[in-house]
Amino acid sequence: MRLVRVYRRSLGAHLRAVLEYQSDFWLLVTAGIVTQSLGFIFLSAVFARVPTLNGWRFEETVLIYALAGLAQAAVPLFADGAWLLGSLVHTGELDYRLVRPYPPVLQVTSHQIGFSGAGDAVGAGVLLVWALSRVEVHWTPVKVLLGLLILLGAVVIRIAITVATNAIAFWIPSPNPMFASAVFQIGELARYPLTIYGFGLRVVLTGLLPFAFTGFLPAAWLLDEGGAAWLGLATPVVAVLCALAAYAVFQRGLRRYESAGH
Amino acid sequence: MSVKAYARLAGTTVRATFAHRISIGLGTIGVIFQLVAMVALWTALLADGTRIGGYSLPEMKGYLLVGFATGIVGRGLGEHVMAERIRSGAVALDLVKPLDYQKMRFAEVLGGLVIELAVIVVVGAAFVALAGPVQAPVRPDLLLLSLVAVVPIKFLIIYLSTMLCFWTQNYHGLAWTRTALTQLLSGALVPLALLPGWLQTTAAVLPFAAITSTPALIYTGKATGTGALLLIGYQFLWAAGLWFLARLAWRTAVRQLTVHGG
Repeated sequence: MRLVRVYRRSLGAHLRAVLEYQSDFWLLVTAGIVTQSLGFIFLSAVFARVPTLNGWRFEETVLIYALAGLAQAAVPLFADGAWLLGSLVHTGELDYRLVRPYPPVLQVTSHQIGFSGAGDAVGAGVLLVWALSRVEVHWTPVKVLLGLLILLGAVVIRIAITVATNAIAFWIPSPNPMFASAVFQIGELARYPLTIYGFGLRVVLTGLLPFAFTGFLPAAWLLDEGGAAWLGLATPVVAVLCALAAYAVFQRGLRRYESAGH
Repeated sequence: MSVKAYARLAGTTVRATFAHRISIGLGTIGVIFQLVAMVALWTALLADGTRIGGYSLPEMKGYLLVGFATGIVGRGLGEHVMAERIRSGAVALDLVKPLDYQKMRFAEVLGGLVIELAVIVVVGAAFVALAGPVQAPVRPDLLLLSLVAVVPIKFLIIYLSTMLCFWTQNYHGLAWTRTALTQLLSGALVPLALLPGWLQTTAAVLPFAAITSTPALIYTGKATGTGALLLIGYQFLWAAGLWFLARLAWRTAVRQLTVHGG
């Protein structure tokens, strides 16, 4: 509990700093909403001419798109500091995080808040509500609870992948998180039904970099469709595994860390 | 003398982009993944020989290729630098140089083209080899002419929007919003003919369509003969018009500049 409280206060401090610039805040929120609407406009243009995409209807495709977008938006909101890891290692500033009584990995991830995420979250959230109000889901209390758990899992997966890929900086020192942002971009693929990709990409997106668990598989579970519905239920388990793996990578990297020598 | 000075500036940018080739390469990966997603999506929609909006699959792949190429062009390194220099006030030093600010930035974009063209050729060749069959350009000569016009138009749109940094501090929000709007209204997201009527009308009176839609229509042969020539003429008119608009805007914008300290 203390872990959560300190994390919230650290993020809160950065949040207050960012909110000092109000026009910037609104600009970023607008940017996020505009960016998220693009996918909706694209899909609606396509579905105005075809009834289904590989068996997925318009609302269902939007649901996948929105879920993946929401999980993606959570990274800048809750763990934006991960992107700074490379520069912290490069400049030796990580030293300060090692002497404070709080896990270094959490200090790093709560070191910054990215407001682009706020706009993306609002945009994706609106799309999600729109899609949910139009798809047929047999809602039960258990399903709602599981759904929230799966959404949380999707968020954890995205954050874990971001942390693990940024931790590469311990082995390959570079102030810019180039590898991590390249991997982050692969997440774009997960915003469409997984079935449109070839076998190789499907394996990568479910096994190697489980982005499929952040949009497609949860949506398939919710709608009970696509033959892979039960896999969506595994999202929280995959999330725990991803989090443990990311933590292990970070800790291993930390052991290699040798400061900047001053 | 001055042409030589601008050529030097372009040459410096070529060297700078080569120094940053890895980060530029990885930055391109995001765009490539988007291309992969779009190809997979359209393949799922059009594989059985159906046409959407008059596009067959090989034609749509040609369209996507043009969208990729025109998306890469003119991304330039200069945009961040210009925004940062306006923010910090360092732009004052550029103003005292005996060269024209707008021409200096354009020279840099031309220098950046060298590596961008290399990326386009490599990825384009791989695309044709792996994702074929791709329709060949119907009129390569007209296509080339149209692509030449894309460079100044894209530069000027980025230049004009970056100028807004004289009024706002947040460059990222600006850049995202502009990228999203360009994607939508240029036809890079989806052929303009597939968009709802009001968006088509909006796109028709704005310069964005000259970036992707025009060369893509010429590539795929949707615009031929006089129609194609008219579109190209329209492109060059926009290039000239935006050039003078940018000059006007610049005169107003520099008055906003506040430089602290001395």
